[in-house]
Amino acid sequence: MSDKLLLHAEKIDKKFGPTHAVKEVSLDFYAGEIHALIGENGSGKSTFTNMLTGILPIGSGTFTLDGEQIAPKNQVDGNHHGVAVIVQELGTLNGLTVAENLFLGDEGRFMKHGIKNTAAMNKKAQELLDGFGLEKVRATAPIENYNFEERKIIEILKSTWFDPKILVVDETTTALSQDGRDKLFEVMRDVRAKGHCVIFISHDMAEVLSMSDRISILRDGDFITTINASDVDEDKLKTLMVGREMGDNYYRTDYPNYATEPQGEIAIMMQNVSVPGSLNDVSLELHKGEILGIGGLSECGMHEVGKAMFGASYDRTGTVQLGDGTPIDSINTAISNSIAYASKDRDNESLLINDTIQDNITLPSMRDMGFILKQKDLKAFAKKYADIMSTKMVGVDQYVSALSGGNKQKVVLARWLGKQSDILLLDSPTRGIDIGVKADIYQLLAEMRNQDKAILIISEEIMELIGMCDRILVMKDGKINGQLFRSPELTEQDIIAKMI
Amino acid sequence: MASTNTKAVAETQEKKFDWHQIKSLLPIISFVAIVAIFAILTRGALITPRNITLIISGGFTLMIATVGVYMIMSMGCLDFSQGSMMGLSCAVVCFLSQYNPILAIVGGMATGALIGLINAIFHVKGQVQSFVVTMCMMFLLRGVIAYITTASPVYAASYLTALATNTPLLIGIVVAVLVIAYLVLHFTALGSNLKAIGASETGARFAGINVQRTKIIIYVVAGAITGFAALINAIRIGSVTSQAGNMLETQILIALVLGGMPINGGARSRFSSVVTGVLSYLVLQRGLVMLGFTTEIQQLILGIVFVIMVAVFSERAANQVIK
Ligand SMILES: Nc1ncnc2c1ncn2[C@@H]1O[C@H](COP(=O)(O)OP(=O)(O)O)[C@@H](O)[C@H]1O
Ligand SMILES: [Mg+2]
Repeated sequence: MSDKLLLHAEKIDKKFGPTHAVKEVSLDFYAGEIHALIGENGSGKSTFTNMLTGILPIGSGTFTLDGEQIAPKNQVDGNHHGVAVIVQELGTLNGLTVAENLFLGDEGRFMKHGIKNTAAMNKKAQELLDGFGLEKVRATAPIENYNFEERKIIEILKSTWFDPKILVVDETTTALSQDGRDKLFEVMRDVRAKGHCVIFISHDMAEVLSMSDRISILRDGDFITTINASDVDEDKLKTLMVGREMGDNYYRTDYPNYATEPQGEIAIMMQNVSVPGSLNDVSLELHKGEILGIGGLSECGMHEVGKAMFGASYDRTGTVQLGDGTPIDSINTAISNSIAYASKDRDNESLLINDTIQDNITLPSMRDMGFILKQKDLKAFAKKYADIMSTKMVGVDQYVSALSGGNKQKVVLARWLGKQSDILLLDSPTRGIDIGVKADIYQLLAEMRNQDKAILIISEEIMELIGMCDRILVMKDGKINGQLFRSPELTEQDIIAKMI
Repeated sequence: MASTNTKAVAETQEKKFDWHQIKSLLPIISFVAIVAIFAILTRGALITPRNITLIISGGFTLMIATVGVYMIMSMGCLDFSQGSMMGLSCAVVCFLSQYNPILAIVGGMATGALIGLINAIFHVKGQVQSFVVTMCMMFLLRGVIAYITTASPVYAASYLTALATNTPLLIGIVVAVLVIAYLVLHFTALGSNLKAIGASETGARFAGINVQRTKIIIYVVAGAITGFAALINAIRIGSVTSQAGNMLETQILIALVLGGMPINGGARSRFSSVVTGVLSYLVLQRGLVMLGFTTEIQQLILGIVFVIMVAVFSERAANQVIK
């Protein structure tokens, strides 16, 4: 890190109706640093950086980059000013080719006399892809030919090929596997080496500590402090973020003796289930009063397990049935038999984001509320469960699209809490969620376990599996590759060894 | 975190203006504006009792058919076969009315329902976009109607046409249809389910809504409703020519959009769009006729109004496509 001030934010402020998302934040970013921005969900990190990158208009205050005041009108304008962003959600558009996506909004570059030179654009795109180690990706292929991870990597290229002075990485890592993360980190170090600056937003404290030079903390829209990464540890950061001591009961602390303690009845089981391309003859049992974890590499098929058990997989073979033999063959039978599912793809599958909190919470429960429904009752129902989850919202009429990631997940859990589900299938339940909400969710899961509910956690976060589960199944290439029981001695290495 | 909640609630009450709230009033405002403008331009002729009766009685079939399309559109789907469906159902009603009134009613509704079913099967099972399916259906049915009316129009039995002047009865029927539809959509899960499908089909599926079955049922019901509207049409017009029901689908679409219906449906769909929309459309159309505009200019003006309303009410943030 040099002493050269690259970007100065002066009293940046933003309100969304009644929500004061960012409160007069002033911050300095230096040339050649990776500067982490951390804080709980809804603390204003994305809002702050979105104003810098042109995704949102600035409420008030100024950004000064290299001595020049900037207020980008949109992302492409931001790029022209030298600021780029990689977002958490998928930022590429279906129906366009890889090359078109790479240069989206910036086609002017290849225009001559009002005519777009597509060949030149494709050529340039392929050069960039090749130079980025993405020789396998064809510039002319439609973007939907590539999977989530590959598209994310293409996005990284899209945001960085023009050497931006400021690169914002907003919770991108949660969407990536280890390989993808390594690639991203390499790019971030590159940006730093060039004397530019990375603003790095992540909920993974270990990652933040190892990657960044300095760390700034936001809490409820307020700027708290900036510290050197070398001066703090994870606990200190957590405390700064939530403004209180986190204590030790972040994960479960009990260690039952599985040799002597009787296992609960089988709640649900899969027998010889295969799904083309993801699962290969998988059998497993989930018991009442158990938290079962499934871990593995991103593409090992584990995410399909939840879908298959929820009756949501296409082309599933084999059987899924409850302990009493009731077959589960559709989402409908799953829900009627008290099964809940939270998808890794929260915005598309777990929620209807262009709908209200009320509708999102009440939809599956309407069938239990009688034939004639009253708006008043529905509203009270939604409010009750949103409040139990302490969802941060303006009201249940608010659209889910306006909530932050953690609050969206709270709405998902409120829905199934309201449905009184006994079997919970949770895929990546804390993905992209801050420590405070994470702790709430872990506590909720531990309570539900004690109420004899059956809980399945599919997770890419190994520590979460070790911390929360009674039993962990590790998957590899669509098959179960090993089983580990809860124990204080269990380490990350034990699990990783079975993953690869 | 309980304290933040109460704070947020208090803040909601303070908050007065919300763009979506203004938007939800816009259909009423534009209805009043349309009435006022044409009342002035026609020097009051628009709002004479005789003229008002004329306007209302011209809209019975449109009002009823719009109810079904509202349900389809709230799921984010479209139906361009409505006009031709009306034409064919009306021919069936007229033909069967020669034998038995009950048979005529049932036959008309069954015809609409069957066409709706075929549309739905191609859309849902065949995975073809609804506007493509229903557009093809329109061309096909137009051919059928032309064929059965080549020799001469199909006439309704005289006991049906005798009801044409019984305006209170017809209004009663229209109101009954509206009230039943409102009650069903508001006080059962159906209304929420339809909007949920419009908001996100995948999300709705994962919330346990049987999307395919719901779509099929709604297309069938909407078809039956239009088949019922065909009965009213038979009563009022008395015969079916090759032009029967022409342009009805466009009228429905313009009416709903005038009533504030988002073109891609979803959570912001409101049943009131049916009533305000159809009334606005009827007044607008009648006003243009009274001012002596040619049909071409009328269409041009309606087209412009349509585009403006679509632009105002489309949820660009939702970034959806019509299914
Ligand atoms: N477009 C929006 N409309 C209304 N409120 C929003 C919008 N975007 C964010 N917010 C609110 O602003 C606050 C800050 O959100 P955000 O910047 O996304 O937090 P973070 O990225 O730190 O999780 C939250 O309370 C969130 O609900
Ligand atoms: Mg964020």
